Order: sequence, then C-alpha cells, then structure tokens
Amino acid sequence: MILRGVAALLIGVATLAGGVGAGAGQDAAARKPAGLSADAAMAALGRRLFYDGDLSIDGSMACSTCHGQRHGFAEGNRSHPGVTDEPGRRNVQGLANVGRRRSLTWGDATIRTLEAQALVPLLGENPVEMAMKGQEAELARRLSGNACYTRLFAVAFPETGGRIDLAGVTRALGAFQRGLVSDAAPADRFVRGDQGAISMEARAGAALFGQHCAACHAGPDYTDDHFHRIGAPDPRDRGLGDVTGRADDDGRFRTPSLRNVAVSAPYFHDGASATLGDAIRRHGMTFAAPEEATLVAWLATMTDQAFITNPRFAYPDGPCEVG
Amino acid sequence: MALLLLSLALAAAAPAPTPTQASCPAVSPALPAELAPWTAAQPLAAAMRVEALGTARLALGTAKDLALGQTGQVHYALRPERPGGSVSHGGMAQFMVARAGIYRVAMSNAAWLDVVANGKSLESVGHGHGPDCSGIRKMVDFQLVPGDYVLQIAGSGTSDVRVLVTGVPAE
Repeated sequence: MILRGVAALLIGVATLAGGVGAGAGQDAAARKPAGLSADAAMAALGRRLFYDGDLSIDGSMACSTCHGQRHGFAEGNRSHPGVTDEPGRRNVQGLANVGRRRSLTWGDATIRTLEAQALVPLLGENPVEMAMKGQEAELARRLSGNACYTRLFAVAFPETGGRIDLAGVTRALGAFQRGLVSDAAPADRFVRGDQGAISMEARAGAALFGQHCAACHAGPDYTDDHFHRIGAPDPRDRGLGDVTGRADDDGRFRTPSLRNVAVSAPYFHDGASATLGDAIRRHGMTFAAPEEATLVAWLATMTDQAFITNPRFAYPDGPCEVG
Repeated sequence: MALLLLSLALAAAAPAPTPTQASCPAVSPALPAELAPWTAAQPLAAAMRVEALGTARLALGTAKDLALGQTGQVHYALRPERPGGSVSHGGMAQFMVARAGIYRVAMSNAAWLDVVANGKSLESVGHGHGPDCSGIRKMVDFQLVPGDYVLQIAGSGTSDVRVLVTGVPAE
C-alpha cells in the first residue's frame, strides 16, 4: 500500500499539470545576475521554499517547522503533528550531510532521492503533514504571486521557461538540502588528526564507540545507511516491514546519522528515548556510569556549531537573489 | 501544574497533540483556576501594526478571541522566527506585567508565538499542551519582569485564535 502510494506520488509529479508558467524563461539570461548559475539559483530558491509556510495547506507549516537549524535540522519533540493535528508518526531526523544518504527515511528503502522524500510531508496521508495532496495548482498559484519566486524559477529552470510547479519545488528543496554540509564538529577535527580538538573523556568515549557502536554508526556521518532491528518489533510501527510486507523486516529501521545528535533529542524512530544515556541503554548495551559518560562526551563532540548557526542555512531575510 | 520542560532553549515548538474533539466528553473537564477564564473569551481585533497596539490590549487572566489578519498585512514589531505563508494569519496584542514571575500564554491553535520586549523575542522557560479536551492547544511559559510586552502570533492556520495570558502559580 505504501509502496503504491509513493509510486503514485512520483507519478503525480511527473504528470503534474497544475504548474504556472512564469513567462520569463526567455528572459532568464537577461535577468540572471553575473555569477548566479542555475544551480545556485535553484539552491537559493530551495532555501526560501524550505522556510515558506505556503507549502502547507493553511500556511502554518514549512519544512523548517520540523527541521530546525538549532537542532541540526531535527526537532526537540518526539514527533510533530501535521496541519490537521494528526499525530506525527516518527521522530524528525537531522539534515546534516543529508545529500549523502542512500535512502531518506526511517523505514523506507525505496525513497532514495531528496526530491522523492519531499513528497512525503507535502502530499503524504500516512500521516497527513502539510496536506497539499491535490493542491498542486494552488501551490503554483501561491508561489507565482511572489515576484522573487518567479525570478528564481526563471533562472533555475530555463529549460521549462521558469515553470512554477511541484517538480520544480522538490528539485529546489533537494538542491538546498544537498548544500547542508557539516564537517567542522570537534569530532571531525579529531578524526582528521587534531588530538586536542576533544577532551580526554571524549577520546575515551571515541575508543568505546569504535568498539561497540561503529559497526552500524559508521563512516563520516556515523551511519551505515542500513536497516537494523534493535529490540522487539512494535506492531504499531513495523518499520521497514511496513513497506516490504516481510515479517523479517519488522522492527528494522535505518541507522540514523549521529551528526549533531546532542542537540536533537529525543532519540530513536519513535522519539521515546529522552536522553543520550537512554538511547545508549536502549541498544541493549550496559556500561558503567563513567564509561557511559565518556560515550556521551564523545557524542557531544559531533555537534557542529558552525553548521547549526550558519547564516547561509538560516531563514532568508535578505533581498531576492535575483533582482 | 508544571509544564513539560522539554527544552529550555526552545521558544515555542509544537507540543504533542491533544485528543481530538470527537473523542472528548460532551461536558468539558474543569480547568485549573489560572486557566478557568479560558471558557469566557471576548472578541478582540489583533493589531496589524505596532502603532495600533493600544487598541489590542490583553488583560492578564482574561481570554480573548483574537481576530487575526492575513500574514502579508501584519507589520510585526520583530520578524517572527516562523512567519508563516502568505495564506496564513497573524497579528499582535499587548499586555502589561506588574509583578515579576512566570507567565503562561495559552492558545487554541499551534501558531507560532513570540513575546517581545525591548526589541527582542524572549526565550521561553517551558512549553506543553493544555488539559485534554480543554481546547487549549499549546501553552508557553515566560519569566517576565514588570513592564509592557508584545505578543506576536504568526503562521496561524485559522483567522482567529483564542488567547489567554495568565500568571503561573508558584508550586
């Protein structure tokens, strides 16, 4: 059912007829300021859209409503209700280096692009989040009323004449999110050889982490991008099993990246682990309190302050990038 | 009644949802004393500009059904952290605090709210949802000192919102 739903969403984008031509494609080159490429315009457009509540049916919810920069583009709640107050299904994941992920959700290995993922909150019904299913023409109408959007679409999508439609929206959102690169956490400097970048306690935690955690929380983003089962499956949320229908996949969820993990509590797909200590113990691992403290100290070094305060990723307060 | 202190640094994130109205009893449950005025709200037009705040005053402990404007019509004292889309609604109101303490802003929907003083949005000290089936969708607490404050409501999905600003009794 969910697979069919996703396929339908993708087909919906491919066949979308509700777009609005900006009527400015032929003028794009003339309007494009020196140095602003189509890719740069697409990312700038994506940033504006990411923070725009007009992507939800009543204007109350933007991508940034759940993906807050101060939390590494995650959130501080277990889950987030949609615009109709339907409860959120799973905990919001951070977006640091999300462009490197091989799949994009907790429990669906088939969603492999940011463009496809964007359709889940925009159009999804399990649960309803932004409630824009069937409202693609309305979305295009709203965005077309914004002169900055009209100009950015024209520069970003010269091949369509600056057409404002859902496909362009998701491409732009993807372009912005691919730019959410984080590589300046103390843990990064430590891994690059700067022993002084983290405390003695955190170094001890790094050693423990390497022995007990890094098989799954592997690589520069501390995830193997694979789906694992920790604890007994919960029939209320079968995880990967919900998508594949295979009992073997019940309770399997994608290993989350640990970048900025210390500022993105609570944890796990259900957000039921309030603290890092809770999350560690939920893995079935038992450490003495001092050892657990070292692990928590190491995890805290994965916070990239430059990333969570980078004004280039924040709400776009400035003038339109295309004059 | 202590709020769930999920994050002291969080200004006004959406709390967990309350039960749907359909699952609530016909007679609403009694509210704690500080929230009792919630059920006796009077209408009030929210201010669209700072200059109009004098016409949109909230008395502490008195609920108001605030009529909001289209987001594009609102000229906020301070750009809200989450301004909302062009189809959303917003507005401002003013309230005065005479005694230092913790004050709670209760609202009937999940719109973004800021409490602004001296050109800055204040950090909340707690947030949560109201009693089940009360119609209070979110509550945000602020530590305030005597003075005037501007309540900014942004990104509301509805054109009106019930608001109550009230003192939080010491535990």
